[in-house]
Amino acid sequence: MLVFDELKKNEPHLRLVAMLLVAGLCVLLAGLWWVQVVSSREYQSHLETQAFRTIRLPAVRGKILDREGRVLAENEARYNLCLFLDDLHQPFDTAFGELLKASHAAQKQHVAAAEKRLGRSLTKPERKQFVLTPAQLQAQRVAARFLVASGIVAQVSQQMDEPLALDPKQFERAYETRLALPYPILPNLNASQIARFEENFTNKLGVDLELQSVRSYPLGDTAVHLLGYLQHDDSSEEGEDSFFNYRLPDFHGVVGVECGFDDELRGRAGAESLLVNSQGYRKSENVWSQPEPGQNVVLTIDLDLQRAAEASIAAHHGADAQAAVVVMDVRNGDVLAMASSPTINPLYFTGGLSPEEMQQEHARRADLNLRPEINRATQENYAPGSIFKVIIGLAALEAGLNPQELYTVEADPEDPRHGMYDVGHIRKRDTAPPGKYNFMRAIERSSNSYFIQVGLQTGIDRIVALAEKFHLGEDLELPTRQETSGNMPSSERVHEHWSAGDTANVCIGQGEVAVTPLQMAVVYSAIANGGTVYWPRLVSRIEPQDPTAREMATNLPSALVRDQIGVSARSLNILHNAMLAETEDVEGTGKAARVGDALRICGKTGTAQVQDSANRTTGYNYWFASFAPYEHPRYAVVAMVQIPGAMMAGGGGAMCAPIAHDIYETILEKDKAAAGKILAAN
Amino acid sequence: MFSTGTTPREAFDRLQIAALVGLMFIGTAFVFSATMVNDLAATQPWYDQTWVRQIVWYVLGFGVAAAMCLLDYHTLARWAFVAYWAMILCLVAVLVPHVGSMRFGARRWIDLGFFQFQPSEFAKLAFILATANFLSRPPDELKQPVIFWKGIGLMLLPFALILKEPDLGSALVLLPTGLVMMLVAGTPRRYLFNLIGTVGLLATLFVVDLKFLPTRWQVPMQEYQRDRLLIYFGRNYTDFAPPGATQAELQRLRQKQADDGYNIRQALISVGSGGLVGKGWRQGTQNALGYLPRAVAHNDFIFSVIAEEEGFVGSVVVIALYAVVLFTGLRIAGQARDRLGKLVAVGVVTLIFSHVFINIGMNIRIMPVTGVPLPLLSYGGSSVLCSLFAVGLLQNIHIHRKGY
Repeated sequence: MLVFDELKKNEPHLRLVAMLLVAGLCVLLAGLWWVQVVSSREYQSHLETQAFRTIRLPAVRGKILDREGRVLAENEARYNLCLFLDDLHQPFDTAFGELLKASHAAQKQHVAAAEKRLGRSLTKPERKQFVLTPAQLQAQRVAARFLVASGIVAQVSQQMDEPLALDPKQFERAYETRLALPYPILPNLNASQIARFEENFTNKLGVDLELQSVRSYPLGDTAVHLLGYLQHDDSSEEGEDSFFNYRLPDFHGVVGVECGFDDELRGRAGAESLLVNSQGYRKSENVWSQPEPGQNVVLTIDLDLQRAAEASIAAHHGADAQAAVVVMDVRNGDVLAMASSPTINPLYFTGGLSPEEMQQEHARRADLNLRPEINRATQENYAPGSIFKVIIGLAALEAGLNPQELYTVEADPEDPRHGMYDVGHIRKRDTAPPGKYNFMRAIERSSNSYFIQVGLQTGIDRIVALAEKFHLGEDLELPTRQETSGNMPSSERVHEHWSAGDTANVCIGQGEVAVTPLQMAVVYSAIANGGTVYWPRLVSRIEPQDPTAREMATNLPSALVRDQIGVSARSLNILHNAMLAETEDVEGTGKAARVGDALRICGKTGTAQVQDSANRTTGYNYWFASFAPYEHPRYAVVAMVQIPGAMMAGGGGAMCAPIAHDIYETILEKDKAAAGKILAAN
Repeated sequence: MFSTGTTPREAFDRLQIAALVGLMFIGTAFVFSATMVNDLAATQPWYDQTWVRQIVWYVLGFGVAAAMCLLDYHTLARWAFVAYWAMILCLVAVLVPHVGSMRFGARRWIDLGFFQFQPSEFAKLAFILATANFLSRPPDELKQPVIFWKGIGLMLLPFALILKEPDLGSALVLLPTGLVMMLVAGTPRRYLFNLIGTVGLLATLFVVDLKFLPTRWQVPMQEYQRDRLLIYFGRNYTDFAPPGATQAELQRLRQKQADDGYNIRQALISVGSGGLVGKGWRQGTQNALGYLPRAVAHNDFIFSVIAEEEGFVGSVVVIALYAVVLFTGLRIAGQARDRLGKLVAVGVVTLIFSHVFINIGMNIRIMPVTGVPLPLLSYGGSSVLCSLFAVGLLQNIHIHRKGY
């Protein structure tokens, strides 16, 4: 190199200096290499961390549909009027500039006044006291922003004819922590307000409508327990980034189908990144992952039957009745209707109620007698009463009972119109009159005495074994998180301090036996379909929201067999005939359910005592469990009403059979309409 | 009478001038990029805009330096000591409360209205001339200890005054300049080694004391200086909190540490995220988004802006241009007619190199943060003028170089 050649001539000092220079420059180059090439990615990520903000974009929630695709739960657009602080930084700066000018002018005046007073010009330290401190400047900035924002809000308020106010503290906090997100000033606009806004605000500087997706239940409180409700939850799911700077509101299901199928309904959240400058203002945005919409959940519920069940309960017992109805397809375990009363208002959670309505609803939920949020079809244990007798009957028939054999029921000395039976020294009273009973008559008239005798003869072990085949006392493994498993004494239990009296209680469906209406629907379906205990199915398939999407629907397996009760066809036949007589015979307790010969119904009524901890009777559970049509059973209907106080005349036959009647009528109409369509098509 | 038969000698060192022009061009471009980042800047009248002012300083400095070249540097050197004592006076004046203007906690400027006169910049040049003059006596005289200590004194006086301002960076550049000049002048090596050895030992002890020993044992120093060194060594302020500090006080210390370290953190992010080829002129996100503080982006941290926008390639180009200026300067030193010229040239080269090393080092955190401008690239009248005068001196020496 030219320079070095010349230095070689007798200039050792300069050579040394040159070498020092080279060494120094090499150190710089090495350092730059390290920072700019080797560590470049690390610094780029630091840059991104400070300059990028990520926003979690929740996906559109899937709908919940009934088996024919009718909507039970969907999403509604809600429009909020918001301030977009990002777009306002020009006006903010301008306003601050003005304030600053004003305060400088004021400062000059003060200085002039002070000088006038002192009669001389001020020295530097004296001048200093008029200078604005950084804290004062900051306060002016805050004031400028609030001025601009409240000006806009006042404009909006005038145009929209709504009283709107801006809270300075909240506004400032939103500015500091959530600058990139919209700041709501008027939530949930109705259509006329939206129209007004669109008309009047052509120059929408800083103010605009924000679209939010809100869950809506268009059918009101139909199937409200089964559907469940949502709660605010914007946390990340598995498989998502766990860190976001901002999260837009998102929800997750708490109970019901909304909860059990929350993963499918919720879809996958997307992410957006914003580039912000050192003051937090948005410079650009980029959606780097689109949210994947949630999938629709199609239930096995038939909306017509569901509505019929709910209407029927309300019509016969009022809105505050404590009741449940389950309609099941006996051929595969599909739940066609699941109604529970009293109901709750789903708007309580989505914020669509007025403050008075919220108060009312709140009081309702706090009422310990009502407890409207319980799904009585699956979440409460009830003594089954006489509807449990079918199991006793089957066990007895299998053990060799002759259905034609007549048993004599003695009259109760205290109440000669009713029968009684003594188990040891415990007297079991009957609602049926004294006399001679065979199997059919005992079912028809629901004779306690007959079944206690028969049950004692059969032995508790056989009864418990059969009940275990029906899987009573066990969970039905529902996805909805709303179930109890009932109670059935196990084979160990019945050998520990177990008396004949306890067996007698079991025979009449009291004592330690407790069931849920859905469990009884499974039992009666099994009896109806020839002995197959199916797993109840609530959801039939999961399909993509967009019908043109590439993904296919997922069909959930149906007709999953849980067990076979292993009872002979002969026994079942005898039972079916007896149950048919209950609805068709003059003596039958379930006459009220009858809809005619087009649909022949087999039923069993029940009335169970509800006892408190001191064994006092506080009320009764009234049941009617049935299936139809008799020839080739398709539907099982179980209706239950719990009424406190004295026993209602007519028992289950009067309280619940009419509900079943309404449902069967609806079934009949549907069948006719379907047949009509087929005929028309032909 | 005699024809030399050699190529005619050009008066100016063209290579150095070319490198200079290159640096001035880069300086204009990146001061523009660093300052014209928002609409507010664009609304200023063009004559008020920073990059235009930088061009004005360039032209002015270039003109004066060219004019200086008309004079033989010996003439200038005759006034060396006058200039030196005048500068000492200015340095004293700047410390006086009413004369020197206080900015950012330091008293470094004298406000002349249109121009902020920074005596320390000019003092460096005066110091080089004076020292060169002092050292250009016959080499044997330099072997006397008293001459050695006088030379050291010549260096320490402005050093102490500049340090008092306080301006550690400018004071620091005097040291290597003076020492290298003494080395090249022929001062016996052992004097210099002994001196450097002792100072080095003290510095190491000082660093060890600061880094490892608990608070009670530490050398007292101004709080902000200690903070700067803590940032540089990557230590937490909270480690040096007085015992019994409450949570609130510790939190405040942490916040202060974050604030103090902010500049260097942003500078590192700027430099590092530039990568190999940078983001493009005026596309530097750190600057545009305001993360690199506007107050320093166009002067002390101008290199960060260049590094972010032109990447490693750009950094190398800048360093290469400086290398050209420095090595041509050394060549000029080698071809100087006499010891005075050689010493002045070496002094200027070392001065420029020290500035470059400390400033770029500060941007990539191999040096603690000190307020040293990057010659010709940083915005600042005094800095630009002095850099151009310095190179003018080099050219001057080149013009009057050896004829053989």
